[in-house]
Amino acid sequence: MAGILTLVEHRQGVIRDITFELLTLGRKIAQNLSTQCSAVLLCDNAEKFIGQLKNNAHRIIVMENSVFKDFNAETYQIALSEILKKENPFLTIIGHTAMGMDLGPSLATQMNIPFTTDCMDVQIFDGKLRVIRSMFDGKLNARILLKDNPSYLVTYRSGSIPVETGNLDAEVVKLETPINAQPEYRKFIEYIEAAVGAVDITKADIIVSVGRGIKDKANLPVIEDFAKVIGGVIGCTRPVVDAGWLPKEHQVGSSGKTVKPKLYIALGISGAFQHLMGMKNSDTIIAVNKDPNAPIFNEADYGIVEDLFKVVPVLKNKILELKQTKA
Amino acid sequence: MNIIVCIKRVPQTAEADVKIDSTGKDIIKDRLAFDMNESDSYALEEAILLKEKFGGTVTVVSLGYPETEDTLRIALAKGGDSAIRIKAEDFDEIDGYKTAVILSSVIRGLPYDLILTGCMATDDYYSMVGQTLAELLDIPHASLVTKLDITNNKAQVYRELEGGLLEHLEVNLPALVTVQTGINTPRFASLIAIRRAASKEIKIVGKSDISKDIISNATLEELFYPPVGKRAEILTGSIDEVVTKLATIIKEKGLI
Amino acid sequence: MSNLLKLNPEIRELLLEQGAGDAIKCYECGRCMAACPWNMVDGVNYTTYQFPDLIRLGAILCSEEKEAICQETNEVFRCVGCDSCFYECPRKVNISNILRSARRIMIDFGSYPQELKSLFLRLNSNGNPLGESQDKRKEWADGLVIPKFTEGLDYFLFVCCITAYDARAKSVAFSVAQTLQTAGIKFGINSDKEVCCGEAVRRAGGEKVFIKLFESNLKMFRDLKVKNTITISPHCYTIFNNEYKNYHNFQPLHYTQVVFEQIKTGRIKPRKPFNKAVVYHDPCTLGRQSGIYEEPREILKSIPELKLVEVPFFNRKNSICCGAGSMGLWREYANEERLVNLRLKQLLNTGAEVIAVACPYCLQMFEETLKSMNTEIKVMDVSEILWESLKLETDQ
Repeated sequence: MAGILTLVEHRQGVIRDITFELLTLGRKIAQNLSTQCSAVLLCDNAEKFIGQLKNNAHRIIVMENSVFKDFNAETYQIALSEILKKENPFLTIIGHTAMGMDLGPSLATQMNIPFTTDCMDVQIFDGKLRVIRSMFDGKLNARILLKDNPSYLVTYRSGSIPVETGNLDAEVVKLETPINAQPEYRKFIEYIEAAVGAVDITKADIIVSVGRGIKDKANLPVIEDFAKVIGGVIGCTRPVVDAGWLPKEHQVGSSGKTVKPKLYIALGISGAFQHLMGMKNSDTIIAVNKDPNAPIFNEADYGIVEDLFKVVPVLKNKILELKQTKA
Repeated sequence: MNIIVCIKRVPQTAEADVKIDSTGKDIIKDRLAFDMNESDSYALEEAILLKEKFGGTVTVVSLGYPETEDTLRIALAKGGDSAIRIKAEDFDEIDGYKTAVILSSVIRGLPYDLILTGCMATDDYYSMVGQTLAELLDIPHASLVTKLDITNNKAQVYRELEGGLLEHLEVNLPALVTVQTGINTPRFASLIAIRRAASKEIKIVGKSDISKDIISNATLEELFYPPVGKRAEILTGSIDEVVTKLATIIKEKGLI
Repeated sequence: MSNLLKLNPEIRELLLEQGAGDAIKCYECGRCMAACPWNMVDGVNYTTYQFPDLIRLGAILCSEEKEAICQETNEVFRCVGCDSCFYECPRKVNISNILRSARRIMIDFGSYPQELKSLFLRLNSNGNPLGESQDKRKEWADGLVIPKFTEGLDYFLFVCCITAYDARAKSVAFSVAQTLQTAGIKFGINSDKEVCCGEAVRRAGGEKVFIKLFESNLKMFRDLKVKNTITISPHCYTIFNNEYKNYHNFQPLHYTQVVFEQIKTGRIKPRKPFNKAVVYHDPCTLGRQSGIYEEPREILKSIPELKLVEVPFFNRKNSICCGAGSMGLWREYANEERLVNLRLKQLLNTGAEVIAVACPYCLQMFEETLKSMNTEIKVMDVSEILWESLKLETDQ
């Protein structure tokens, strides 16, 4: 039976968490189909990565070359198309990440294999592949059946699979690299770090986070006041940054910061999954939102269904009061 | 510079109730408002900005039903020079992949230096059309771009990665770029442009104009409501009561 | 705006089609500028009188420059529709309507202040600006027994969305309903079919959304054979009077008119004293636009020990808008640039302890702003003050 391939996603010398989620999934599927799960590693120095992957796959397929030092969807696509031709896997799984989005669709199109993106679950039955995906601002799920084919490709949503460490001992298979230099038409130049502002919200114990529900920049002082009283820093969702109300260093979410504070207070945040991905592992999550159906209430530990502007001033005073009465 | 912008007209579901219709494969649309997909409006603005800088034309293309022409007119009013509607009613089972195939059949015959589109549609969340389209047209692409500069017929693109890191690539033109929200500030249309747009002819293209056979990649079998996860403990009572409860919880957890 | 204005007949035609016909009457005397409350706000210079001229020439919103259009669009959307200009104009040019003609087009082409977008969406999908569901619309009446309207009842009580859904404003609907019941008025409601009257969204330029709401309410009135309505909000009152009445034969009334009659004839007698200085703020839609100035005042004067005070000069037809009209309630301006601050200052300067309003938008606007001010003054609807005085110990 043709195997399962998962792509190892690494950046600046670190293997990203999604890799281990995909391997957990890959091993499960491989077991169900009585086949093997292989991790595909494209890098400049395999030694530093193989140790972390060994337990988690049956095989590690390696292409080692300086051209793979930094991700370039084009070099990866050239390499992976060779690997896919050789391996003929039943299923190739890539993370639905900035890397995976750039690579997955074009790779699958080049290989002419049916594919879909942002899957939250896969169901394989009788050689047919079905996936569960989210649609319409996360309000509905869809079950998609891919066209019959011996090979498929999916990109998988991160945070969907609890990671398990495998107990395998991977066979390392080194392959010849089909390219030695970046293609002239698409070159990786550099990474640019997000400007380090005055605030590093990833270090804070308490984050008071705002979404579009604050309605305008002019309403921030009320929130900042509250944050000061409770001893927290300000976080926000992407639309708040897009609107220019707060600088990007405050953004929590898949393209912003991932935070794990002791207390995360979400004010006027609906809970789009891109945001949830950035804060769902906080110790205690409190949500205040006028909409009782806001998805944030599925992630939060405590919720108040109310206008945040009615709650915040009262909460601020209460916290002040409690702070003054030493328990 | 000739720029093609691919846009999509989507239902505005962020603040609306979304209900599944009787077929089980679509949503009830009569109470929903429709508008240009958000990241597409940023792609359009980016195209207009480039046109203002370098000269040239902006052609807006959309695969959609007749109402899509309203959205195309808005795009024309904001600075597009010409618009093409590909008749969605000529095709069935349209998903991201099929959209890209259809778009490629039409765009292949047009002159372009750059194709811009939004990074993701808010109805289906595929994030695949742009990249697939680029591959079918055999041009390089870059997705999730948050900054774009054109110099000497090359595009300097800055892709937005997790954690706010930026990936700077140099891509030769012609290329396709999918654009993230926030890359610019979409403009308002002027009445002059609106007037001009109202009388512009939108080119309509149908299945018969496309020589290629359009096949699907996948089928939507069923829409269903997501299982309600573990819900938060909702605090009830007057504002004073809920605030007191909440503050007490916070204090008891040793957080203040 | 450039000194050299180019004549553009096509734009002019486009705007005249949308209802800007009044522009032709203007002879640029400038009285509108003196009347416009925006020009009383420090730092705002609202060139009201230029709008008819720009429309006549077809020279409005015509720049090809991104920044200039953004600024001009914001100015076109600044107007709150208070009609102070219209009131003062010797030729009766309605500048709010003129600007609305431009706004309609801009809204159709996605070119308007984005804070209004979610309002249009909520009105479209939920029938109210708060985005609440229809089945919650009856909750304000919990604890009251109000029949569903049928042909046999004298009045249809049309409940403003704000008073139906907002936690603070519900008490206004409650007070009005209780007062009417005490007076023995036979009225009914229909929370299942009633949707927003659409006055604010129409004035703002959201014509398509308005028509959807309008048709829904009109069908309800026709199906139920409604002959007389009592509205809580004067916004509902004005749009019923100006638009709905052209399509359905019925008589709209504002609750202050009905209640005033009941007090005059002695059907209701406020007995409990309300020993406070109360300043009455004339809402634009009730006062200047509908000519109802004395009824609310007479209601207040009938309450024992209530001391009615006035804002000197800026009362009745000269009342200054609270800024909530034309969807202004949801617009966000920098603190130095808010109309409501101007009006609140005038009201506070009277030394009153209570601001009496007769409009749910004024109520919300004042209350929201007062939250961030350090003052003891309260805002109450006329109906709430009256009900305080009318209700028996056993009532809620």
